[in-house]
Amino acid sequence: MAKVAREMVERAGIDVDKLLELLIKNAAAELTTYYYYTILRANLIGLEGETIKEIAEIARIEDRNHFEALVPRIYELGGKLPNDMKEFHDMSACPPARLPEKLNAKEILKVLVEAERCAVRGYTQICNMTAGKDHRTYDLALAILNEEIEHESWFSEFLGEGPSGHFMRRGETSPFVSKFLK
Amino acid sequence: MKFYTLDMLKKYNGRNGNPSYIAFKGKIYDVSKSFLWKNGKHQALHSAGMDLTEALKKAPHGEDFIKRFPLIGYLKI
Ligand code: HEM
Repeated sequence: MAKVAREMVERAGIDVDKLLELLIKNAAAELTTYYYYTILRANLIGLEGETIKEIAEIARIEDRNHFEALVPRIYELGGKLPNDMKEFHDMSACPPARLPEKLNAKEILKVLVEAERCAVRGYTQICNMTAGKDHRTYDLALAILNEEIEHESWFSEFLGEGPSGHFMRRGETSPFVSKFLK
Repeated sequence: MKFYTLDMLKKYNGRNGNPSYIAFKGKIYDVSKSFLWKNGKHQALHSAGMDLTEALKKAPHGEDFIKRFPLIGYLKI
C-alpha cells in the first residue's frame, strides 16, 4: 500500500473505502466484460457479424487492459481483489453482457452498446468523485473513460444511431490507457 | 397499493432476507431483482430502504432506469 498516497486522498475529503469499492466493482465489470465479449465475438458470424467482429475484439482487449490498469491503483490505495472469482463476478458495476436470446448481429450490438454505456456512466462517476482531489485515480479513470466513450460510439454507429466521428484503431490498442500498462 | 412512511421503508433495505425498496418522487419501487442492487446496495454509494429522490440528481443516469421496476406503493409523508 502507498501510505502517503492514500493519506493525501483521504485529506482531500474522499471516502477512500467507498472509492475502493467502486474501483473494485469497475475492475470486476472490465474482467467479466472481457469474458462475455469473448462469447459475443465468437457469435459474430456471417456477413453482418464479420463486419463487427474486429471492432468487438478491440473493445474486448481494451476492456481487459482497463482491468489490468485498475488493479495496481486498487492495491496502492490499500484495497484488494476478492479471493473468490464468483464473488468478484457478482459485485460487478455493470450487469453481465450475456449472449442475447435472439442471435443476430443487431441484438449482439445492442448488448455491446449497453455494456459500454454502463461503463461510461461508471467512469464518469469516478471522475466526478476524484476531480481535483485524487489526481492519479482521476487520470486513470479519465483515460479509461476516453476509451469507453469511443467503444460506445463505434457500436452506436453500427446500430444506425449516427456517425461515431472517428476511425478504427490503426494497429494499436488502448491509446489512452497504455501509459498505465507500461 | 400500499402507503409507506420513511420509517416503514427502512426495513426494506435488502438485508437479512428483506426485499429492496427505494422511494423516488413519492413512489416506491421494488428493485430486489436488479443485479445492480444486490443486498440493497447500489454502486457502493446508495442503499435501499430510503428516499433517493435527491441522490439521483448526482447520479450518472436519469429516472428511466427506476421506472423499469415494479411500482409497489407510495410514500406517506
Ligand atoms: C452517484 C450514484 C450512482 C451511480 C454511480 C449509479 C450508477 C449506475 C449505473 C452504472 C447503472 C447501470 C446503467 C447502465 O446499465 O447503463 C445504474 C443503474 C441503475 N441505477 Fe444507478 N447510480 C447512482 C445512483 C442511483 C440512485 C440514487 C438511484 C435511485 C434513485 C439509482 C437507481 C438505479 C436503477 C434502478 C438502475 C437500473 C438497475 C437495473 O437495470 O438492474 N441509481 N446506476
